[in-house]
Amino acid sequence: MSLIRVLFYFMSVIAVASALYAASTKNLVRSIFVFFVTLFALAGLYVLALADFVAVTQVVIYVGGILVLIIFAFMLSGKETLNVIQQQKGKFFSLGKLPAILLAALFFIVMINVMLKADADNLAWVKDSITYNNTITPNAVMIDNIGVNLMTRYLLPFEAISILLLMALVGAAHLSRKEGSA
Amino acid sequence: MITLTDFLVVSAALFCIGLYMIVSKRNAIQILIGIELILNAAILNLVAFGKHDSISNSGQIFALFAIVLAAATTAVALAIILNVYRKYKTIDPGKINNLKD
Amino acid sequence: MNNTLPYQDLTLITCTLAAVSSPLLAALLNFCLPAKSKAAGWISTLGILLSCVLAAKVFAGVWNNPQIHVKEVWFTIGATTVYAGILLNNLSVLMLLLVSVIALPVHIYSTAYMKYDGRYSRYFAYLSFFCFSMLALVVVDNLVLFYAFWELVGFSSYLLIGFWFTRDKAVQASKKAFIMNRIGDIGLLSAIIIIFAMYGTFDINSLFGPQGIVSFTSVHDGLWVVTPDLLPKSVGSVWLSGGANGSLPAIWQYIAVAGIFLAVAAKSAQFPLHTWLPDAMEGPTSVSALIHAATMVAAGVFLLGRVYPMFTETELTILACIGCFTAFMAATIALTQNDLKRILAYSTISQLGFMILAMGVGAYASSLFHLATHAFFKCLLFLVAGIVIHQVQHIKEDNNLDIDPQSILYMGGLGKKLPFTFIAAIVGGLALVGLPLTSGYLSKDGILIQAFEWSDSRSAWFKIIPVTALLTTWLTAFYVARLIVRVFFGEFRLLKINPGIKLHIGDGGWQYKLPLALLAICSLFPLFSLHPLLYEHAWVFNGLSPSNYLVRENIYHTIIPAGVNILSLFVLYAAYAIYIKQNSFSLPQTGFLYRLSYNQWYIDKIYKRAFVKPVLGFGKACFWFDKNIIDGFIHLLTKLSGCAALFTAWTDKYIVDGFLHLIAAIVQSIGNFARSFQSGKVQYYLFSMLIIVLTLFILKILI
Repeated sequence: MSLIRVLFYFMSVIAVASALYAASTKNLVRSIFVFFVTLFALAGLYVLALADFVAVTQVVIYVGGILVLIIFAFMLSGKETLNVIQQQKGKFFSLGKLPAILLAALFFIVMINVMLKADADNLAWVKDSITYNNTITPNAVMIDNIGVNLMTRYLLPFEAISILLLMALVGAAHLSRKEGSA
Repeated sequence: MITLTDFLVVSAALFCIGLYMIVSKRNAIQILIGIELILNAAILNLVAFGKHDSISNSGQIFALFAIVLAAATTAVALAIILNVYRKYKTIDPGKINNLKD
Repeated sequence: MNNTLPYQDLTLITCTLAAVSSPLLAALLNFCLPAKSKAAGWISTLGILLSCVLAAKVFAGVWNNPQIHVKEVWFTIGATTVYAGILLNNLSVLMLLLVSVIALPVHIYSTAYMKYDGRYSRYFAYLSFFCFSMLALVVVDNLVLFYAFWELVGFSSYLLIGFWFTRDKAVQASKKAFIMNRIGDIGLLSAIIIIFAMYGTFDINSLFGPQGIVSFTSVHDGLWVVTPDLLPKSVGSVWLSGGANGSLPAIWQYIAVAGIFLAVAAKSAQFPLHTWLPDAMEGPTSVSALIHAATMVAAGVFLLGRVYPMFTETELTILACIGCFTAFMAATIALTQNDLKRILAYSTISQLGFMILAMGVGAYASSLFHLATHAFFKCLLFLVAGIVIHQVQHIKEDNNLDIDPQSILYMGGLGKKLPFTFIAAIVGGLALVGLPLTSGYLSKDGILIQAFEWSDSRSAWFKIIPVTALLTTWLTAFYVARLIVRVFFGEFRLLKINPGIKLHIGDGGWQYKLPLALLAICSLFPLFSLHPLLYEHAWVFNGLSPSNYLVRENIYHTIIPAGVNILSLFVLYAAYAIYIKQNSFSLPQTGFLYRLSYNQWYIDKIYKRAFVKPVLGFGKACFWFDKNIIDGFIHLLTKLSGCAALFTAWTDKYIVDGFLHLIAAIVQSIGNFARSFQSGKVQYYLFSMLIIVLTLFILKILI
């Protein structure tokens, strides 16, 4: 039981538990803030997966951008929205959710089954990457790798993503303008 | 060492939780969070497999792109939710059933 | 089929046709006139006068001359040809003249008698129609036409009896007459058909003429057969038309003769079909005079005269028995009747019985002679009765009495008030009794004498017939005397009962007196014979019989007339004494014989119980059957189909429609079920999609 494994379990437990809490609560604000925690835990998991740049990007964009956006969106929407959102009656565990729980559980079982069958660790290309030293080592610095790849190998998706972002933002801004319809 | 399977299990769990939230939540923003969860589960998957491809590093690059796309998605989704609220005065997807038979 | 007739014969035939059709024309004219037109009477009278004159001409031309027979083809059916034609021999022209001569005074009388009736012209139309039928009846030459006019005569009688149809009794009487005549018609028709089957022809001359086929047929060995051996050598062979048998079992001859007897009994009112004649007195008196005394009832005797050669000895004897019995019965009934016309009706029946008796004993000529003389004096008596009743009717209306104007119990002493009528009545009455110097004496004594001669040649049992006839003659004398004495002699009984009534009666005008005078003259002997006492000299008698009867054969010819007439005088005086002097015993009115006679031997009652009631009961039973069972069956069917319809409706509504509704409901529920998938909720759509995908995954993993 190495430290990494402990850390890994710790992070994953936090992630899953907070996700569970976010899923089960009826209170929107709580679920958003707990999602906050989930995202951080996930960032930690990325680090343990030796993807540090992704972890940071996750924190910056996801937590700092998206979550804040969500919070501001519903907070600035007005009192009625807040009231509507806050008024979620019901018990802790209502029977109406049973099909959804069943669905999720079954999906989980199926996926676990597939994963165990697939045996990802023993896939051919995975083994090849280990023998040919293609894996990312904990010591490696991947930033310049990411930069070089972005500019050479993945330039097209990079440009496309930027245009897409532009479109999305313009669209979102237009959609949410004050007067008239969308 | 953390095996791939561990990561995959965690990602599967997150995916299912997100799925649950999408299917059963009565609040559109909570559904949005469910979508985010699913996306995050997928990104985790990507990153876990990306460990084994350091040359082209496609796993991590793709994870970056996914994060960006998630952001765009969220922005547009929030704009849509705003418009839905303006029209229907509610964001409970169970109540917006004008297309019913 | 004589295409070349001598001129003389042609005129006579034309005159006959004119004489027969003149009343028909008058009838048609009268039918078109309004009901109260007085011209109708004159038209009819002129018509019958014309007939009379023409009949006299024809009579003069044919009497004792060779007979005239013309015929034309009427129609052909298959191999049978039926002719229509005229046969004029002694019998025909005698009847022709007799009918028209009797009808003339009756017409004149009727113009006055029916003067105030509302349907005057209709009466004369019917009367003329009757004259036409009767005249045609006596001149036709074949049995088919004979039957046709026989029926027409019966029909005219029905019309005239029921002339006053608002009276229920008249309607009943006319129905009774017609029905009884119909029974006779059945007999006649059967006889005609059997004769045709046997001989193959309808022609009266070739059947019953002097050389007719019937003369050559006989019944022996149980067969009725044409035997050529009977032919005299001078006559050629007899041939029968195609289709005739020429030989039948003897039973058919008996049936044919029985049919003829039935017809005669119905038409001439013999026992047992005589009951219609007394009831027929419901008609106007002039009708009774013409039809039911003189002419129509004589048609039966005329039929006998026509078909006389067909009878065998036994059948003639039976005929004689029937006639004798009827005569006796009717005379006994007439003794006690109180209705004037009814006495005369029974008297007619009795005299007809005499005629039939005469036919039966072989006195062919005497029978027809008596027919002729009876026509005159009976018609006279009826016209007298009509006048008397008319006058009593006047008294009744003037004084508002409630009496039956026809009952002789209220009459009496009318001789002083109606002198002319009184004399006419005396003449007629004496003729009916048969005293010398009247025509009745000649004919009646002829019958009696020949009856005695006939019974001589047979066993002693046959003596009953002439003896009964003798008895009947004296009974006739009694009731005639009773009638005359009661009505014309003594005191007016009505005046005795109601002293205060006014009497304004008298003989009628010339229209009443002229007919009476005519008929009274004809009832005396000079018309018929120059010798008042010997019937053999009567020209009628000589014309109708073989010529060897001139000999006064035996003592009967003296004893009978003398005995009968002397006793008749005694009987007349006895009646006078009983009913007017009232100093001798009065006949008991309560004995069995009296009641038997008064109730007409209960024959009407027997018929009513034996025939009328069962038929009516049968009719009621049929009605009950039809109403309850047949209609009930129909109602049952109706109800059944109603129930079936209800059941079908129920089935249709609940089962058929229910099935459809069930299908519709199933489809609806399926639709509702399917609709619930389109809830409009996005999460639900997503959920269902994922479930499917999951199911696929699970299946893929498991399988």
